[in-house]
Amino acid sequence: MLQINNLHANVGDKPILKGLTLSLNAGEIHAIMGPNGAGKSTLGYVLSGRPGYEVTEGSVTFNGQDLLALEPHERAAAGLFLGFQYPVEIPGVSNVQFLREALNAQRKYRGEAPLTGGEFLKVAREQAGALGMDMDMLKRPVNVGFSGGEKKRNEMVQMGIIDPALAILDETDSGLDIDALRTVGDGINRIMRKPDKAVLLITHYQRLLDYVKPDFVHVLDGGRITRTGGAELALELERDGYKELAA
Amino acid sequence: MTDDIEIKDKAAWDAAEKVADYEHGWSSDIETDFAPKGLNEDTVRFISAKKNEPEWMLEWRLKAFAMWKTMEAPDWAKLNVPPIDYQDAYYYAAPKAKPKLNSLDEVDPEILRVYEKLGIPIAEQKLLAGVEGGEDGGLPQRRVAVDAVFDSVSVATTFRAELDRAGVIFRSISEAIKEYPDLVRKYLGKIVPMHDNYFATLNCAVFSDGTFVYIPEGVRCPMELSTYFRINAENTGQFERTLIVADKGSYVSYLEGCTAPMRDENQLHAAVVELVALDDAEIKYSTVQNWYPGDAEGKGGIYNFVTKRALCQGRNSKVSWTQVETGSAVTWKYPSCVLNGENSVGEFYSVAVTNNHQQADTGTKMIHNGKGSRSTIVSKGISAGHSNNTYRGLVRVAPNAEGVRNFTQCDSLLLGSLSGAHTVPYIEVRNPSAQIEHEATTSKISDDQMFYAMARGLNAEEAVTLIVNGFAKEVLQQLPMEFAVEAQKLLGISLEGSVG
Amino acid sequence: MSAPTRHNEAWRYSDIAAVEAAWPLPAPESIIVPAGGTFARTIMQDSGTIHQLDIAIGKGATAAIHVLNIGGDYGRVELNVTLHEKADFKLGAVQIGGGTQTLEVITTVTHAEPGATSSQIVRSVLAGTATGTYLGKVAVARDAQQTDSVQSVKAMLLDRSATANAKPELEIYADDVKCAHGCAIGELDAMGLFYLQARGITPAEAKKLMLQAFVAGVFEGAADEDALTEAALAKLGDLV
Repeated sequence: MLQINNLHANVGDKPILKGLTLSLNAGEIHAIMGPNGAGKSTLGYVLSGRPGYEVTEGSVTFNGQDLLALEPHERAAAGLFLGFQYPVEIPGVSNVQFLREALNAQRKYRGEAPLTGGEFLKVAREQAGALGMDMDMLKRPVNVGFSGGEKKRNEMVQMGIIDPALAILDETDSGLDIDALRTVGDGINRIMRKPDKAVLLITHYQRLLDYVKPDFVHVLDGGRITRTGGAELALELERDGYKELAA
Repeated sequence: MTDDIEIKDKAAWDAAEKVADYEHGWSSDIETDFAPKGLNEDTVRFISAKKNEPEWMLEWRLKAFAMWKTMEAPDWAKLNVPPIDYQDAYYYAAPKAKPKLNSLDEVDPEILRVYEKLGIPIAEQKLLAGVEGGEDGGLPQRRVAVDAVFDSVSVATTFRAELDRAGVIFRSISEAIKEYPDLVRKYLGKIVPMHDNYFATLNCAVFSDGTFVYIPEGVRCPMELSTYFRINAENTGQFERTLIVADKGSYVSYLEGCTAPMRDENQLHAAVVELVALDDAEIKYSTVQNWYPGDAEGKGGIYNFVTKRALCQGRNSKVSWTQVETGSAVTWKYPSCVLNGENSVGEFYSVAVTNNHQQADTGTKMIHNGKGSRSTIVSKGISAGHSNNTYRGLVRVAPNAEGVRNFTQCDSLLLGSLSGAHTVPYIEVRNPSAQIEHEATTSKISDDQMFYAMARGLNAEEAVTLIVNGFAKEVLQQLPMEFAVEAQKLLGISLEGSVG
Repeated sequence: MSAPTRHNEAWRYSDIAAVEAAWPLPAPESIIVPAGGTFARTIMQDSGTIHQLDIAIGKGATAAIHVLNIGGDYGRVELNVTLHEKADFKLGAVQIGGGTQTLEVITTVTHAEPGATSSQIVRSVLAGTATGTYLGKVAVARDAQQTDSVQSVKAMLLDRSATANAKPELEIYADDVKCAHGCAIGELDAMGLFYLQARGITPAEAKKLMLQAFVAGVFEGAADEDALTEAALAKLGDLV
């Protein structure tokens, strides 16, 4: 589904990714772990096309398409979803309006008919209910006045409604208490653990992996993948730390 | 009974005297060489001849004078200035001293006494004394080179030899006109054009003396440079001219201190200061101004109409203006930065205190022409008595200046209910990538703050001084240390009698 | 009286030719809100006109004005407000200009007596070579203690050739007052735009949504809040 080959990227003038190669197949969940400053969040931003994140070398193919040639909204329409570490507040624009516009923009791009208000609300109600979010929150402005945990939960509701092929989840576990962590983990499994979907979990800690069991764990350090293993690698990292591993 | 009354009266009398007494308000008895009273072409020629100026300088002055005659005196929105009789003043007064002076030793001892009395920072006086006796022993001290302007003439510059070794040119502007005519001509009137405003044009015609500084490429000026201005002779307008050029990659910190003795009539002061910073150069310009503000009834005091402007011409150039304005009956000055250089930086930090019947209208202009240029404005106005204190500022972003940033903070503090505090910011933006933020607040000293400070043993005046210093701290900490200490004292003195 | 020039502070950024064409202006509409009364008015400027209102708000009375300034080559809304004891004044104004439009909102809010409150929210969005100006003066008279005044002024430029001017002015003669003024001019938040696009929304649509957010809330409490919002969004849609 996703092939990243020898990816180099700069933020400003500073090189962050330095030859990252990674391959995800449909049906797989991958976790990327690594110390602070390793380039984990940069990878998520580069894949989703954030301005200011410049690819200097390498290629990324997503379902046979050159991902890097697409605008951010085209990548979303192509089925890529980035769960933000710090979801952005947009006062004056309700969640419902935002998501309906987003979903219909994606459908239009793919040549599908837009959902009517009724159809959309049905989907939204289902997804919000499954993640324990009430409809009042969906009517509130996007992320405004939400706690850290509510913002992350809102990201999952969005993922459920948009129903992407590939989700890149950047530190989705940060700022969550133990109950919220379980809800979010269940959400990821329910929405994304399907034979035609894939997930790239970017995380600093292994705790989310108790709920979402990865097929592969990669260590990102100094802008490239330094080690790859199964779920047990995460436990090893948790026990020994990244320093030990580097040595 | 009678005794009691007498004692009470005496105490009141003393207190009244103390309040009315301006610390620097006395007049020293030095022989003065005046230009004839009044202002005409002959006055301009007299000044130029007195200073043995080259022909081009005289022509420049005459051109300015002709221009000035066609101009009208400005009428300001927030200032109440009675018409000034420009013919009823002397435009040049030089102390009759030795023609050429190389050290403070040779300065008229009476002038030195004047400086002593003025309280030119004790640290500096010690330092100056130390230099005359050699630099051996003693603790390492921050050194300050002083160019003293007494009435209209620059009387001495110290540390000249050491500055010469570093390639720094620190001269009175009259000397510089003769010694470095090319440098002076290249920049004089280029930052503040001759026609800029009524008072700048007048200054061009009759400027008497002032300071010229040139810091060569890559040189960090080995000491802080300082000029003390002082107005002594009765009815003498003082018109200094300052020009500072910081060449590529250089740095200089310049301190300007001003005092004037007490006089009954208003004295006009119209200086022009021009700064130029080339690539990667930085100029820090600090002013403490405590000219005679007039008496408690608003009689007398200095009219201070100053044009100060910096040209940040080079990439990454930086100019920082810091001012503490406590004196003058009327202050009208807007130290500004024209930010032409890419990523150039302009800063303006100001504390203005007005008491009794003082009027201050001061602020800055930040003109952003260069990409990525940034500016910071922090203005703290304190109004007491019947005074009026206005911040007036302009932030302008040109259409081609991408990525400009400005932050402006204007805070006003009112002491008593008879004063006024005004904020007049102009913001003009023509580039979408600019980020401009302006915040303004107005407050008074709360009863809780006063009570708290007084419960800790401070009297009312001490408490006010403490709180005012806290209010102004952000600006005061921009000053070089000796200056900051003086400025703190000045804030206290300026507000004397403001607490009922 | 002849038409003003740019030397006149209240007209310093105006389209002087348009002002001269409209000169002499009729006398400003005079509104007196009696003690304890309430007053509300929406001013929809969509045809290039000059609106001038003098409003005196009596003791304990309240007035709320909502302004949408969007139409014509030159549109101006000028409010001259005087607050008496414990009166309250609220202004919510949006101006949206494109092409060669010159739009301006000018307010002079005078707290003449103690205990009055005022709040002004002004949002400007400018594209093309349009000029948008807000001159907002708050004056507090000598005895108007316990004045509480807030002013929030924001402008957004969509094109390099557009101009935003602001002059949030304070003139204060009383010492026991709370006057907090904030003014910001900037561009749309880049992270917000990216967030919207990462959810599949096109750049133009994302811009429009962000602008909707920018003017959100200004019309809160207006009788015709929905109509105002709709008109504002339609105008924004034209610009993006």
